[in-house]
Amino acid sequence: MTTMETYWEVQTFLAYEARLLDEERYTEWLGLFTEDAHYWVPGVENRGRSDPNGPYAPSRMAYFDDTLEDLRRRVVRFTAPTAWAEDPATRHLHVVSNIEVERAETPGELLVRSVIVNYRGQGDIDAATLYGRREDILRRVSGELRIARRLVLLRHAVLPAKNINTFF
Amino acid sequence: MSGMNDELLALSGLDDGWLDRRVFWDRDVYELELERIFARCWLFVAHESQLPKPGAFITTWMGEDNVLVVRRRDGSIGAYLNSCPHRGNRVCTAEVGTARGFVCNYHGWSFGLDGGLTGVHESAAFGREPGFDRSRLGLTPVAQLDTYKGLVFATFDPGAPPLRDYLGDFAFYLDVILDNDEGGTEFAGGSIKSVLGCNWKIAAENFAGDALHAGWTHASGAEAMLGRGVPDLGAEDAESYHVNANGHCWEFNLDGVGNAATLGDPRVMAYLRDHEKRFAERLGALRARMVGSISSVNVFPNFSFLPGQNTFRTWQPKGPHRTELHTWVLVNRNAPQDVKDAWRKGAMMTFSPSGVFEMDDGENWELATRSNAGVVTRKQRLYYGLGSGTAIEHPELPGNVHRGQINDANQRAFYRRWSQLLRARTWDEAAS
Ligand code: FES
Ligand SMILES: [Fe+2]
Repeated sequence: MTTMETYWEVQTFLAYEARLLDEERYTEWLGLFTEDAHYWVPGVENRGRSDPNGPYAPSRMAYFDDTLEDLRRRVVRFTAPTAWAEDPATRHLHVVSNIEVERAETPGELLVRSVIVNYRGQGDIDAATLYGRREDILRRVSGELRIARRLVLLRHAVLPAKNINTFF
Repeated sequence: MSGMNDELLALSGLDDGWLDRRVFWDRDVYELELERIFARCWLFVAHESQLPKPGAFITTWMGEDNVLVVRRRDGSIGAYLNSCPHRGNRVCTAEVGTARGFVCNYHGWSFGLDGGLTGVHESAAFGREPGFDRSRLGLTPVAQLDTYKGLVFATFDPGAPPLRDYLGDFAFYLDVILDNDEGGTEFAGGSIKSVLGCNWKIAAENFAGDALHAGWTHASGAEAMLGRGVPDLGAEDAESYHVNANGHCWEFNLDGVGNAATLGDPRVMAYLRDHEKRFAERLGALRARMVGSISSVNVFPNFSFLPGQNTFRTWQPKGPHRTELHTWVLVNRNAPQDVKDAWRKGAMMTFSPSGVFEMDDGENWELATRSNAGVVTRKQRLYYGLGSGTAIEHPELPGNVHRGQINDANQRAFYRRWSQLLRARTWDEAAS
């Protein structure tokens, strides 16, 4: 268990992070990660219950399997004036819910679970909604919460969208 | 061919460089494609490495027909309609796995790895039925299945020419990526599926020949991965080509590593550099320069890949205005594990739904499809006239060769083949 104060701090942090993404403030968003961060959104395979290999694994294809350096590269594309699919701007909505906070194995780190709904409206009528569960390791760096590890388990075996031009 | 316009299928105007937009929109055209292209051509269904041992299976699409591809007990590969001959339920509901056999969830009929009916629930009742003959109630197999250097293809048409003939001169080019190393190739783990609101041909023709869009559409992706834009590819003296055979298309230049460089990973570049000589020994000097060069490929009708990035994909038709994209990553089997991992990660970083290159393709393709909803828009033909005088004979390159990769020659070849097949009732007719 953690204190109400810690829970409040985490919930405020995640809401702020979501707003940075809604407002496409990607450079500030990158600042919320630790230097050694790993950001992983594995592909999800539709496998049988008895299959010991499970729906996702580190050795398989992933939408994101990123270091902070990889995330920075993606932000270069998002912020380039030639990112045609970003103009007119995508209308993002990052919803974060079902937040659970507990102490992680490493002292001083928190294991934070949450559920995300990500809506994107584009152009005139294009829209995509993605759903997933998140598992974060948050670490305190100079007193501030930072994301050291993020795992996003999308609930889709076939992504109901043409792309993922956002972060979760 | 009710409601179908012969003029449309003949694509009158293609030789002058024009294409009728109804090919991207009409339901009648789409239904005929399912019959005369997808139920007839050799379609990519698996890489052998996805079926490592007996019982290993994947499920995939051939047109809108779901098929179950299985490694059988004797080591051979079978492919069957994934639909129960009892009431039609899907027999295998997983996309990948290992099984001893398959049991239908509806009434419990079971099938062996060879597709044969091995058992039924309430067997006493069936046993009393004089007309019940197990041997006639197996899963329906594809008509032909064959492999080319690790790639498994199947066709529903018993009259289709052998796979080797279907590929024809294009096999020479496929070896660039499938046979540049003695260990052959495999798929890295996993696959990714996504959905595009576009006609499948718009994606296929893009990979068949659209080097033109690379520098424009993907300027931001190149900026992210290379720190600069894509260089102009269309100089008068550019050493680059459009080649095609039997509707299979490859556009490329001879820069060696332009595509591979976009992965932004020094391990990939080091691997290519270290193997340069070996590639040349196996493939000859010219083809060795194609292994990672700025290039793109479509194997007719809907199987595409990018040499260098090694993204492999199928564009599965889901109606005239919807396509399911299925993506894998190809690596050389003998490459060190860290190089394979670098390729898997790099391919995802560039060409996957979250890839910095691919991200800008989908919207173009969806709107190029959707515009045709307008009855007046649909009547305006599209310009496919670039590179009309570029056909050449080349001492080393087989098939139809065109000078210059900034060209529409391959796209014209793709639609010519498409039109031939839609109009032909037999393979002999399609050959002409
Ligand atoms: S539909 Fe398969 S057993 Fe009846
Ligand atoms: Fe593209």
